[in-house]
Amino acid sequence: MSAIGQPLRLERLRKAYGGTPVLDDISLDIPAGCFCALLGASGSGKTTLLKLIAGFEIADAGRILIAGRDIAPVPVRRRNIGMVFQNFALFPHMSAAQNVAFGLEMRGLGRREISARVHDALALVGLNEFGDRMPRQLSGGQQQRVALARALVIEPGLLLMDEPLGALDKSLRQGLQEELRRLHARLGVTIVFVTHDQEEALHLSDLLVVMERGRIVQSGAPRALYERPANRFVASFLGECNFVRVGNAVGALRPERVRVGKSAATLSHRLDGRVEDVRFLGPSLRVILRNQDGEFIALVPADRHSSAIMPGQLIVAGFDPEDATLLEAGLDGEHVEVWGLATGESRGGNLAG
Amino acid sequence: MRRSLGWAVLPLLVFLAYFFVWPVLRLLALSFGEHGFTLANYARLVRVPIYRVALIETFKIAALVTIFSVLLSYPLAYVIAAARPHTRQILLALVLVPFWMSALVRTTAWLILLQHNGILNSLLVGSGMLRQPVAFVYNLPGVLIGMTHVLMPFVVLPLAAAFRGIDPALVQAAEGLGAGVIALLRRVFLPLTAPAVLAGAAIVFMSAVGYYITPALMGGPAQTMLAQLIDFNIETQLNWGLAAALSVVLLVATLLVFAFFNAVFGLDRLLARAPAGGAGSSFADAERRHRGRRIAASLLSAPVLLFLIAPVLIVFPMSLGSSPLLTFPPTHLTFRWYHEFFARSQWMTALSNSLLVAALAVPAASALGTAGALGLHQLQRRWARWVEMVVVLPMIVPPMIVAVGLYYLFAPLGLIGRPWGLALGHTVLAVPFVVLTVRASLLDFDPVLAQAATGLGASWFVTFRRVMLPGILPGIVAGAIFAFITSFDDVVLALFLTNLRSRTLPKLMFEGVAQQIDPVITAAAALITVLTLVILGVGLAWSRRDVAPAA
Repeated sequence: MSAIGQPLRLERLRKAYGGTPVLDDISLDIPAGCFCALLGASGSGKTTLLKLIAGFEIADAGRILIAGRDIAPVPVRRRNIGMVFQNFALFPHMSAAQNVAFGLEMRGLGRREISARVHDALALVGLNEFGDRMPRQLSGGQQQRVALARALVIEPGLLLMDEPLGALDKSLRQGLQEELRRLHARLGVTIVFVTHDQEEALHLSDLLVVMERGRIVQSGAPRALYERPANRFVASFLGECNFVRVGNAVGALRPERVRVGKSAATLSHRLDGRVEDVRFLGPSLRVILRNQDGEFIALVPADRHSSAIMPGQLIVAGFDPEDATLLEAGLDGEHVEVWGLATGESRGGNLAG
Repeated sequence: MRRSLGWAVLPLLVFLAYFFVWPVLRLLALSFGEHGFTLANYARLVRVPIYRVALIETFKIAALVTIFSVLLSYPLAYVIAAARPHTRQILLALVLVPFWMSALVRTTAWLILLQHNGILNSLLVGSGMLRQPVAFVYNLPGVLIGMTHVLMPFVVLPLAAAFRGIDPALVQAAEGLGAGVIALLRRVFLPLTAPAVLAGAAIVFMSAVGYYITPALMGGPAQTMLAQLIDFNIETQLNWGLAAALSVVLLVATLLVFAFFNAVFGLDRLLARAPAGGAGSSFADAERRHRGRRIAASLLSAPVLLFLIAPVLIVFPMSLGSSPLLTFPPTHLTFRWYHEFFARSQWMTALSNSLLVAALAVPAASALGTAGALGLHQLQRRWARWVEMVVVLPMIVPPMIVAVGLYYLFAPLGLIGRPWGLALGHTVLAVPFVVLTVRASLLDFDPVLAQAATGLGASWFVTFRRVMLPGILPGIVAGAIFAFITSFDDVVLALFLTNLRSRTLPKLMFEGVAQQIDPVITAAAALITVLTLVILGVGLAWSRRDVAPAA
């Protein structure tokens, strides 16, 4: 089975339900063969966007181009888009193999070709032995694979996935993530993947699109977004983040960039606080400092030095301003609260209590 | 509280054992001879051609009615499921019209519509579409029209619920994989709704096999069905043995379908309530985009809807027409038939007899049914299943068999012609409805509330009266309304258990319609329809009173 991924281009898409805008001026370019994750909280519009691309909803304005062609006039059943649904949407009255065969039958293929391709597709997801099982006789993970095989067997140029791992438990999810990456690398299909799980999005995607309230807040490579979030929303959505003052601006600082104790002493930006909590996370310790300005989170390596950190201690923390990403003014002009940091230029120790 | 109420099912069981199970069993025993065992009656059924023909005809009619019900229901059920909540409520109300309409009113209206000089023929000949009037009634089409009309809702309701239960993602998945309308219908909709179709069809077939009024009034001699033959053998031939043998055949056929239904779907399916409005409208939301298939289905179901409500539409205009020949449209409007209805003593007597019987049967059925439901609710599962089966049976067994059985039981006791006798019979017919509605509200009732009351120091009686009873009262009221309509609508039991003086309104109408339609019947039909609507309206308003937001 091979699929040639097709590029997807969204141009100024708008969609409103009964006057409430759900998607507001969405433009996006997804190159062929890209694994794109749409990340957002529920109500951010990510699922609606997926439905527009699939054709289950119609945009109020804007264009959707697949391989340069506007797909608005193409009915759903002729779009040749693979779709994996949140709850798999396997036909309950058909066996796994019949589910996979359905799309091929709709394309009027011969019986022999259908059976060969169904066999290949089930083999691809490691379910060769399970073709005769009914969906209810399969585990959640197996159902997920059948859904994937059913979507891929039609050799789509574009594969849409709506929280496809959301219904599965954590350990199963990680296994399937690996498998998904492997399949993507092998097939080269363009994937648009909707999720609200930031870890999943960071882990899987080449292109990460963060959405909020019907808009794209930021898009780019996962690492770029993690390290250089454009604003406070993206910063805190993609993992934990401290907000610090750097000069006159606000900076986002990941907890793992914070130094604690001796290693902080030489840094230009420092603060004092009382250790409120220390959590052992395996390779690292999560230390929560508190002073009158609030909480500050540091992720420090679990080594000899850090093992001395105890709750109740007064401690110094610091960071290199290079590690903090200066944010645009708060999202939608929202007021951003930051730590009043004692920087090297002013005076240390004002937070000691 | 627990276990202490299990005994409450006893009065109901004793009542049903004596007034239902016992008379039916005695009737069945009669088929094997009054003195010593013989199969002569069955041999006769097989030997005499008219019985053989009628048996075949009965099953043929039931099968045809089932097929037509399914065919007509399919597009309508889809439209209901795909409609907006408000429209859906209206459509469901329209579908239920034949359900609630008195059988006699309905049949009268159909006769007026379909007879030789009836409304349909006048319209068709008048518009030049037909040269000569066509016989729509007193033949096979007449029976099929009348029976499909009243039995169709049994398919529409579960089918609409099945459509609404389809996960829109399945439809989207099929479309995404390339399915067009036909593939979608054949590969997704039909298989997913098949269980509901089968369930509805089983109920339709079960009811149709035992039908009496519609074939008797709307069919011709060639459409004689089993229930009519039973009636004929008792009233005219006085051949109890043969009537009993026919009853056995009818009962066995009915129970076989019932057993099939019970095995495949379970009783719960039969007891399921109509699809709720409001929540879970996602199927409707998803289908809204598909204007093409919605319009196609709407075009198909518009005539079906018209078919469902046609009888109720003509009842009122006809009752105001001046011509005793019931011509349409009425040339002259008059209240003459209403006047005669209230002036003639036979109508007034029949009305008061009906009300008297209902006044006895409704409280009896409500009390027995409520106690029974409370008891049933607390029985262990394995007992409850059997009790449930016995309680549901009066809904399943054809009324003709109940009527003949009770006639045989009551005649020696001198209960024939007494309001009590008929009221006992109506209680048998109505009590399952009360049990079912109360049971449903008990299932909705949170048992923790009762525990809370007990925890606050209430005795079980106070807990019952102050906490449980208010919770299940809507179920009791709904059951009482069902009971009233069952009693007020019954013809078959009244045919056997009343005489000239004690006959009820439906029986009087039946006699009138069977001979020649007396125009007063149209006034009676209109009044019964109004009464039914008022009772339903009051019931509905009452059940919604808590829901209405405080102004």
